[in-house]
Amino acid sequence: MRAVLLALCAASPALADPQVPVFADETATAGFSTVYEGEWEYMVGGGVATFDCSGDGMPEVFLSGGTGPSALYLNLSRVGGALAFENTGAISLDAVVGAYPLDIDSDGVMDLVVLRVGEDRLLRGLGDCRFEDANAAWGFDGGDAWSTAFAATWERDRTFPTLAIGTYIDRKEEAFPWGSCTDNQLHRPDGDMFAAPIPLTPSFCALSMLFTDWNNSGQPSLRVSNDREYYKGGQEQLWHLDPGAAPRLYTDKDDGWKRLRIWGMGIAAADITMDGFQDYFLTSMADNKFQILKDPSLGKPDFADLAFKTGITAHRPYTGGDEHPSTAWHAQFADVNNDGRLDLFIAKGNVAKMPDFAGKDPNNLLLQAEDGTFTEAGDRAGVASLATGRGAQVVDLNLDGALDLVVVNRWTGAEVWRQTEAASGNWVQLRLQQDGANRDAIGSVIEVRRGDKTERHEIASGGGHVSGSLGWLHFGLGPADAAEVRVIWPDGRVGDWQTLPAASFQILRPGASAEAWTPG
Amino acid sequence: MNLRRRTLLALPLLGLARPVWAADRADVSREVLLTWHKLVLELVRHTATYTPPVAARAFAYVGITAHEALASGNPALISLAGQVTDLAALPARADGAHDDPCVLHAALQAAVAEMFHNTGPTGQRAMEAMGRKLGETASAGIDSAVVDRSIAHGKAVADHILGWSRVDGGAVIDNMGFPMEHTPGTRPQDWVPTNLIRLQQAPLLPGWAQNRPFAMPSADAADPGPHPEFDEAPGSAFHAAALEVYQTGRALTDEQKLIARFWSDDPMLTFTPAGHWIAIVLQIAERDALPVEVISSTLARLGVAQADAFISCWATKFRYNLLRPVTFIKRHIDKAWEPLLITPPFPEYTSGHSTQSGAASTVLTAIFGEGFAFDDSTHVDEGLPVRSFPSFAAAAEEAAISRLYGGIHFRFGNAKGLDQGRAVGAHAAALRTAS
Repeated sequence: MRAVLLALCAASPALADPQVPVFADETATAGFSTVYEGEWEYMVGGGVATFDCSGDGMPEVFLSGGTGPSALYLNLSRVGGALAFENTGAISLDAVVGAYPLDIDSDGVMDLVVLRVGEDRLLRGLGDCRFEDANAAWGFDGGDAWSTAFAATWERDRTFPTLAIGTYIDRKEEAFPWGSCTDNQLHRPDGDMFAAPIPLTPSFCALSMLFTDWNNSGQPSLRVSNDREYYKGGQEQLWHLDPGAAPRLYTDKDDGWKRLRIWGMGIAAADITMDGFQDYFLTSMADNKFQILKDPSLGKPDFADLAFKTGITAHRPYTGGDEHPSTAWHAQFADVNNDGRLDLFIAKGNVAKMPDFAGKDPNNLLLQAEDGTFTEAGDRAGVASLATGRGAQVVDLNLDGALDLVVVNRWTGAEVWRQTEAASGNWVQLRLQQDGANRDAIGSVIEVRRGDKTERHEIASGGGHVSGSLGWLHFGLGPADAAEVRVIWPDGRVGDWQTLPAASFQILRPGASAEAWTPG
Repeated sequence: MNLRRRTLLALPLLGLARPVWAADRADVSREVLLTWHKLVLELVRHTATYTPPVAARAFAYVGITAHEALASGNPALISLAGQVTDLAALPARADGAHDDPCVLHAALQAAVAEMFHNTGPTGQRAMEAMGRKLGETASAGIDSAVVDRSIAHGKAVADHILGWSRVDGGAVIDNMGFPMEHTPGTRPQDWVPTNLIRLQQAPLLPGWAQNRPFAMPSADAADPGPHPEFDEAPGSAFHAAALEVYQTGRALTDEQKLIARFWSDDPMLTFTPAGHWIAIVLQIAERDALPVEVISSTLARLGVAQADAFISCWATKFRYNLLRPVTFIKRHIDKAWEPLLITPPFPEYTSGHSTQSGAASTVLTAIFGEGFAFDDSTHVDEGLPVRSFPSFAAAAEEAAISRLYGGIHFRFGNAKGLDQGRAVGAHAAALRTAS
């Protein structure tokens, strides 16, 4: 086991507690009115997507509505000001479970992948937050499944992305739905179109997917988190996706993949241990999992679970008076207090009205301390909502350098919190841009120096719980007045280390110096 | 003569001389009984509180409900009232004709709804769909007054049994069966948690032995006696038992690994050990086209045997509070050792699967006879092959030794568990369900 494990688990009683950020609940005034509605077919989802479609750099918010209409909200917030959004009336679709932004055709205008109960939709951005259905134009077979997970990558030398769409139960099965997981689909490109989808068989009711380079091989694999409630003979999955080859499962026999069976609902990835490899937080019911590679030198996807030792099992409510086990959905690592250490947000909520699980299940905001352990601060930060949470995004909605929070709830309106008191630490926000295909450089890596360590940050499209963002990438810096960063681009080019001033927005391009950008 | 057939001929000749119409209705009853039990197996797997002891309890009540629903209209059947603890005489059928499939369906629908009231939205949806579809099947072509009368009686039977069930001590499961607080033992042989799951830092259902038994007179009626004296010294009997687990685990054959996984029967991922034996009976029922009365009485007695087995076993587990092999081996033999199977979160002695398999095999042998061969396809959906057994006893012995292969029990815990289960099962085998 790596030395880092020992360091993580060492008691450090003298360390200062992390600074607790202060959030204001601006749900009532921010302008959101969308509710994630629906019964059985909407017991998972809904998601939220944030991205800029108006061209001002501020993230818009797209909310799933389930049986109700989805909605795209224009961000009218002022920098550092109260959150203000206006329903554009665009993308009013029914049966929407979740969504992810992605510039599919690399035209510099953000597109949107919409996951639905029924046909999935690829919406091509036309500018000014207008969209059109592009399924036919792009040859995309949206199927007729219950879509519940998504991930995208650009395979080498491809102009179009490869999309993985995870699906759930065969919704036509009434009395014996268990074991009826429908096939996940891999949509590989054929020029500037999508080829017929490839079924990712076996499929085990995926609720989260993520392309991730778990072993730093330069070749991402597809991680799939599956809901054990519905599969038979299933487990968590990792797929090889070698260029030009059919997708192939990692196995215990051939690859050292270790079987894990959980109520998998969301994946969050980050280099928490700062060893240069991605660590994975997997949401579930009761205890959640936090996986780090046992020994990267072996090249085997054999992970240790450090949730218990780092204090992020998040297995039951910490406030609200309900002591039943929790149900966790969207998870996301982000530095909410700008202290230079990634924290963890988890959206929580009962599946429906399951009496053995918490009905009042507060969202978690777990702050990372210097010793690598985490401390619950959701209640002190003001984000411990007892609504039935699902998808979420931790994102700077008003571009003031302090991360804000939007959460989709089942049966009640989405909630939004603005961070209102500046944290003591510094920050920098980055965007990657490259010419040609894959303009947002999905699959690249941003490395950030943290003292004598380097944090490796994968730029991904996918993961979480049916929720995603594309836009400014936020990095807390603590007391540092500058960030040292470099980019490893998707084609393998390694950029120079650059020193970027704190409290700034920077656009990074291959072979070029950073370009400062100012909001407003 | 084929042992299967010979044994079946020895079963009570229930239903074999029915008129054609009655035989058709018996087929519908059979469909109702088997289909509800298939759903119950899935609900056990997919309801978070259904750990093995809880599942066994539910199988007992559902089985008894089915048997009593049929017994109330069949003088050849004998009620379990007065035979199992505290079950009073069941309501008699009202005047007028009744239809057995409708009685049975109504009784099972009500019983399953209460037993699995806490299942998730998909289970609720499945129960609703099953109630609707089987209700239509049962009542098709039957006079509506008869249907109404039959449904009322079926519900009355279920209400009676459910009322009896609510006061047995096992009706309410909090925190998925794990106490919120736990004070660990201080002796070196005491059980300690074996995983890093927060919820499982306390043992599962420490008070389960306080539940009312069904057919055995008390929780300690089949006390297996103590385990070998705890001794950490190499060469001691206890150390040797741990060393056997360790050495077995390091040299497992593919067949032994398969056996371990076949009988792993993990809660939340399978039907549990008790459900495995229920699934075996359902397979035999289909293979041999058993009459509905035979199936229902078998399920009732099997459920009773297994429920009692867990009460008995849990009394032993928390009397001795013995650590698991993985704890001993990591402390004294090899700190890096890991068992093949996930170690269950409660004390070792005696083996629960061994105990309830011993009980199940005893009651099934009493019903079907010695040397009754069967194939077991319970885990085909999970990708495991069909296994064939020459007898129920052989299956139980394999279930017991599987825990050694899996690295989660000492050999003595399995052997004593089997003995304990056989003694428990004898009480269920003595129940009379047909004249």
